[in-house]
Amino acid sequence: MPKNIVSNNIISFNNVSKTYDDRDVALVGAYCSIPQGAFACIIGPSGGGKSTVLKLIAGITDATSGTLSKPKHIAMVFQDGALMPWLSVLENISFGLHGKGLSMARIRSIAMKYSKMMGLQGLEAKLPRELSGGERGRVGIARALAVNPHVLLLDEPFSALDPKTTDELYKDIIKIWKETGKTIVMVSHSIEEAVALGTMVLVVKERAIKKVFEIDLPYPRHEHILPYMREVRHIKREFFK
Amino acid sequence: MIIRGNARVPKTFFERLYYAVLPLTATLFLFALLSAISLYPFGSVPPLPAPYIAGAFFASFMRLGVAYGIALIVAIPLVMLSRRGHFAETFFLSFFDVVQSVPVLAFFPLVAGIFLQFGYINTAAIFVLFLAMLWNIVFSLITGLKAIPRDISWAAHVFGVKGFAYAYRVLLPAITPSLITGSLLAWAQGWNIIIVAEVLRVYIPYGTGADDLYGIGSVLVDSITAGETGTFAVAILFLVGAIALINFFVWQRLLKYAEKYRFE
Repeated sequence: MPKNIVSNNIISFNNVSKTYDDRDVALVGAYCSIPQGAFACIIGPSGGGKSTVLKLIAGITDATSGTLSKPKHIAMVFQDGALMPWLSVLENISFGLHGKGLSMARIRSIAMKYSKMMGLQGLEAKLPRELSGGERGRVGIARALAVNPHVLLLDEPFSALDPKTTDELYKDIIKIWKETGKTIVMVSHSIEEAVALGTMVLVVKERAIKKVFEIDLPYPRHEHILPYMREVRHIKREFFK
Repeated sequence: MIIRGNARVPKTFFERLYYAVLPLTATLFLFALLSAISLYPFGSVPPLPAPYIAGAFFASFMRLGVAYGIALIVAIPLVMLSRRGHFAETFFLSFFDVVQSVPVLAFFPLVAGIFLQFGYINTAAIFVLFLAMLWNIVFSLITGLKAIPRDISWAAHVFGVKGFAYAYRVLLPAITPSLITGSLLAWAQGWNIIIVAEVLRVYIPYGTGADDLYGIGSVLVDSITAGETGTFAVAILFLVGAIALINFFVWQRLLKYAEKYRFE
């Protein structure tokens, strides 16, 4: 059923469908609204359409039909970092800043600011291959934040990281979200992760946005907090239905 | 010496010299020396002076350099063109496959005939060298472009790096390793072909050694056909030594430099 598009929604899917090469259906009749400042987590099985939703928002691909409203300034953190191997940490962070009429000094100062924000001091001159998985993830986040986007997209940024690093990055992401007030849309394969971070959880399966859950719980959220576990169980029931 | 995993990574200049080129150079040099010895006695004709042979090598080197430059200028737009959509890719890749499988020397009588008619003898050799080098560069570039992870292209798109900026800031660095490998193969192919490309008398009715181009290829062929074994021995030793030095001081360094540009 179509959802009402609310005026403060920063992203709205209105009957959006995506088909590749006229035959591979990736998303059918998607309706969804993401309010400004929300932390939306997209969960779903592989091949269910969650990456398509993210790619449509990122502008990597266009909708075949329907209307998708989104802001112009969007940045993305990729699953494997997608850092340029020949660029240093600082150069990677400033990747999206060139060609925007900024002076080199300004570009450097912005890159330094986000390098510091993500705890990358001392690593500025290093190449991505000299960094750990967590550090690479931080560079990816710093690169995305450096362009000051309206919406920050995260494509399973924690999937290849160890639990300790993941936990640290959870805290970083929540801190950035609270400090900047940016809208975050994150694809995750983990329901627990989505409930731990998001203010809303979108269940995408069978190439459609099946259900949207609002999560109204204080942070931090973890398995020792009963309402958190209740939300996880609730979403799991819908997920596996 | 650094031990990294099971690999022993040479660190100092001499370690790299030993591990990278010394065994190969020593083998080639030994082979050249044995060839030279087998030709002993060198006959009544004394070898040509070393500056003459060095000059011949330099002339061949310049010829290869020009051919390589042209091959590079032609290869890059050709590859870019082949990447413009699915149809272009299918068409150009099939076309490249067919053309590159035709032996380059098969073109030579025709090419030489045309250029010689107009008196452009050097151009005939350069054209054949260019054809020999082109496909190594083209196919290496295609492989390099195909190896760029999708995430990298998407990241460039999301961060607004498009058009010329994309070519300069993403494509060019991303294909650097392939470009260097392709160039190395192209030059190797060029050195192979130069032996034939400079001996133009074959394509000129009643042609003699005087019609050949001045270069290390023609010196080798002319000296052996004239029985000047001393010149041949010196020339082949010079060729092997010079190529080994180029390999060590240029290609090995470039290959090492290209490591920075490789995707993990």
